[in-house]
Amino acid sequence: MELQKARHVQYFQRCYTTVLPSIYTSMDSNRLLLGYFTLAGLDLLSSASSASPSANEASAPPTPQSLIPASDRLQLRDWPDTVKRGWDEAVSYPAASDTENASLPGTYFALLTLGLLANDDASSVATAFRGVDRIGTLQWIKRLQRPDGSFGEVVNADGSISGGRDMRYCYMAATIRWALRGNEAGKDLDIDVDGMVRHIRKSQAYDGGFAESHMGESQAGYAYCAVAALSMLDLTEADADKPSHYLDAGIPNTSAMVRWLVSRQIVYTGSDESDSEEEGGEGEENNTPAEPTSEMASLSVTGPVLGGFNGRPNKVADTCYAWWVAGALQVLSKALPEAASLDRASGRAFLLQETQNTYGGFGKDAGSPPDLFHSYLGLAALAAMAGDATEEGLGQFDVRLCLGKEAAARVNRARQYWALGPENDTTHT
Amino acid sequence: MPPKNNKGGVNAKGSSAKQEDLTKTQTVYERAQAVYDLTRPPYDKEREELGGLHNLSTVEKTAYANWFCTAPEEYSYLPKKAQKELWKQVNESNRPLRRGQIDKPRPDQWGRDKNGRNIGDYTVQQYEQRIETQAQLTCVKALGRSFASKRLFASKGLVDSSTGEKYTLTEEDIKAEKERRKEMAALTRALYGVKMGPYSSDPEWDDVVPIPQMEPEGALAAIAYPEDYDEAMSYLRAVMAAKEYSPRCLKLTEHVISMNPAHYTVWLYRFANIQHLDMPLLDELEWLNEVALDYLKNYQIWHHRQLLLDHYYPTIADTPDEVKRFARSERAFVMQMFAEDAKNYHVWSYRQYLTRKLGMWENEAHGELDSLEGMIDDDVRNNSAWSHRFFLVFSNPRYATPDSHATEPDPQVPADIIDREVAYAQAKIALAPQNQSPWNYLRGVLVKGGRKLGSVQVFVEQYVDNLGDAEKEQVRSSHALEHLADIYEEAGDKEKADLCWKRLGEKWDRIRLGYWEWKRRSMKAASS
Repeated sequence: MELQKARHVQYFQRCYTTVLPSIYTSMDSNRLLLGYFTLAGLDLLSSASSASPSANEASAPPTPQSLIPASDRLQLRDWPDTVKRGWDEAVSYPAASDTENASLPGTYFALLTLGLLANDDASSVATAFRGVDRIGTLQWIKRLQRPDGSFGEVVNADGSISGGRDMRYCYMAATIRWALRGNEAGKDLDIDVDGMVRHIRKSQAYDGGFAESHMGESQAGYAYCAVAALSMLDLTEADADKPSHYLDAGIPNTSAMVRWLVSRQIVYTGSDESDSEEEGGEGEENNTPAEPTSEMASLSVTGPVLGGFNGRPNKVADTCYAWWVAGALQVLSKALPEAASLDRASGRAFLLQETQNTYGGFGKDAGSPPDLFHSYLGLAALAAMAGDATEEGLGQFDVRLCLGKEAAARVNRARQYWALGPENDTTHT
Repeated sequence: MPPKNNKGGVNAKGSSAKQEDLTKTQTVYERAQAVYDLTRPPYDKEREELGGLHNLSTVEKTAYANWFCTAPEEYSYLPKKAQKELWKQVNESNRPLRRGQIDKPRPDQWGRDKNGRNIGDYTVQQYEQRIETQAQLTCVKALGRSFASKRLFASKGLVDSSTGEKYTLTEEDIKAEKERRKEMAALTRALYGVKMGPYSSDPEWDDVVPIPQMEPEGALAAIAYPEDYDEAMSYLRAVMAAKEYSPRCLKLTEHVISMNPAHYTVWLYRFANIQHLDMPLLDELEWLNEVALDYLKNYQIWHHRQLLLDHYYPTIADTPDEVKRFARSERAFVMQMFAEDAKNYHVWSYRQYLTRKLGMWENEAHGELDSLEGMIDDDVRNNSAWSHRFFLVFSNPRYATPDSHATEPDPQVPADIIDREVAYAQAKIALAPQNQSPWNYLRGVLVKGGRKLGSVQVFVEQYVDNLGDAEKEQVRSSHALEHLADIYEEAGDKEKADLCWKRLGEKWDRIRLGYWEWKRRSMKAASS
């Protein structure tokens, strides 16, 4: 089974052009995520490096036309803004859009969307982040950080912070800091980086994985967020001598972490035990996998197997964990040259044969209908598992940002806006 | 003056439009067309059909022109004699003289109904019924307006001048208005297909102007919300913008949560309402129990519960018995959640929070360890339960170093506790040797106790027989073999460690061949 690229293009185009079905209502407060994954999916499937080599090997493959129509790009720049506010026509005033409603994930997805939509030329430097209130956002991110170094999701009117002590927020905060060059804005505007590293460091669990926070149960999504957050810190304050300064500082036991990550790959023996569950978007499942004896036997099978990934020990395989595990290992390889690789062949086989949908997109597990979250992360997983090679049809991938290489470069170019002069720090409206 | 027999030419022979035509008509448009025909000048229809006045005969032309002169304001200018002649000609032409201010009807002038059907195609009866319904709606609305003014007057304490008494709004008034709203909703729906949601049809919400979601057509990631959700959200936006905190807002949040429990804003707003209204927190917890059981995967519920507890705990903190009782009831609820999903991450996070907040560390007082052992007995592969046990044992403030990392030794933990945990893990491994949870736990305990992996070598070796012997090699747990490799490596026996990894990749854990080979390479590189 191959990657059904044309089908995936159709899937993301469907999501792009039509209204999402009501099953997505539970994602209403995360619409920026849905839109972002739609755009990132279209972008990844039409990136320059995704073009298949032409039959005539002498000539370079043609640069594909972006699947995000050029005529839509300008309008899409306004989209993150319109999603976040209700507009009270009677008084021509944005209603219920005060700071209470700004959320860390929303901010993260909005900034990356702006960067993603930039043009592939130098002009994007001057345009992508124009209108972003850099100073205000940096101040706000700073207020989201708790004394223990962790980040919340929302700052309330009274200054209190809501949201769990969740590793995802560390990753998002570190990425926003990178995108806005928070490290160059002065101590008063920058987050407490050492505090964040301390918090991450405390969250490695006894089995080597990373938990939501100190002494919690390790989970692959949090493992990715922990290492990617540290890696974003390294990217922000690039030190040529020690490119993995924060990765080393934030992970007490790297080899235990690698061990835990590779242990997430399991031999998938069928979907008979999986019962259909409510779409939660978080990739949680509760059924118990195969019995010990059969599991022992399945590890010794010779010949091709299906290698799924679970998010925690003794849980079932899920598309998105293929990404969280493969992505985390790829990020780790920056600190650990020649790190252990996953079994790509069986990992690919699981995704392409079991969770790839006939009509495009990926489902959470075998038999589940596709959704945007698993569809994008399914592609990301295939790209990440390919490592230095590429998954045919997907092009090169930036595992730190979970974006196609070209898109990541665009976001990076957009950051130069902040280096152009202090006048860019005023709010443009 | 016109002669008396010129009222309408009902008996006129050969007229193109007859009164009877009206009764023959089927649709609204046909009837309007017939009425129009009856009021046109004589031969006007023929003139139109033939393409102009010049195509009519002289007689017809005369009749057509005469018709215009029969208008009172016209013939009064004529001399008496000419008038007489006019009426004579008109009588002879035998054509009706009706005239009305009627424009030529268009088939689409009535618009379309809720189903897109042209109302002009309605039968006359259907149309009359529709008019009747519209009249009904107008009446109901008028009564509703009088209710609204009465409510306004009552709120301002005004006096009714006709009775000399103050305006008051009775329960009956409100009940009647609610009935009217239902009628209004039904009529509006029947007529226009517009659904009046529960809020726009509830007089309690009249003062709120909803804020609908304003987005350009075709916005990215737009969701086809269920109708009720869309309406409730537009009212929620309005009360949030007005910073209203009231019982009705609390009810509104409950409604929104029932449709989308993952909406974080509504939870924060609900909590603000509870605080402003000074609601009993235990009632809210009770309500939350139901919601949590309905939406197992939801995170916001647990965040809300923590907020409630943060506010409730100080009120009982000084009464240990009360704390104990509360801890018991919270655990009972948590266990109810685990009956649905024993590995729910949010619930386990909450259980950690509870343990810390209520100080549920000691088994004698709170029975946490017993409760956990029960869960591991139910499912020895429940990694969440193992993880919680690790937290419970190694974060206990009675002996553990505060904030000690999960991955570092803690010399403060008594040796007998390490012994107890090693024995516990080993007993559970014996039940299911290929279960990685107790193997990971065992490693974790040894690290905490500062003990070598080799301290459990005898135990581990019982799961691996005749390693390297092609015939007799037996491995009952790949985790045991991996553990053995690490024991050998720790002891400096590289050859044996290498053999374990080799056999893992070759036979006992093939899917991780790349990893085992990497372990072998790494060790060789380190020793060269």
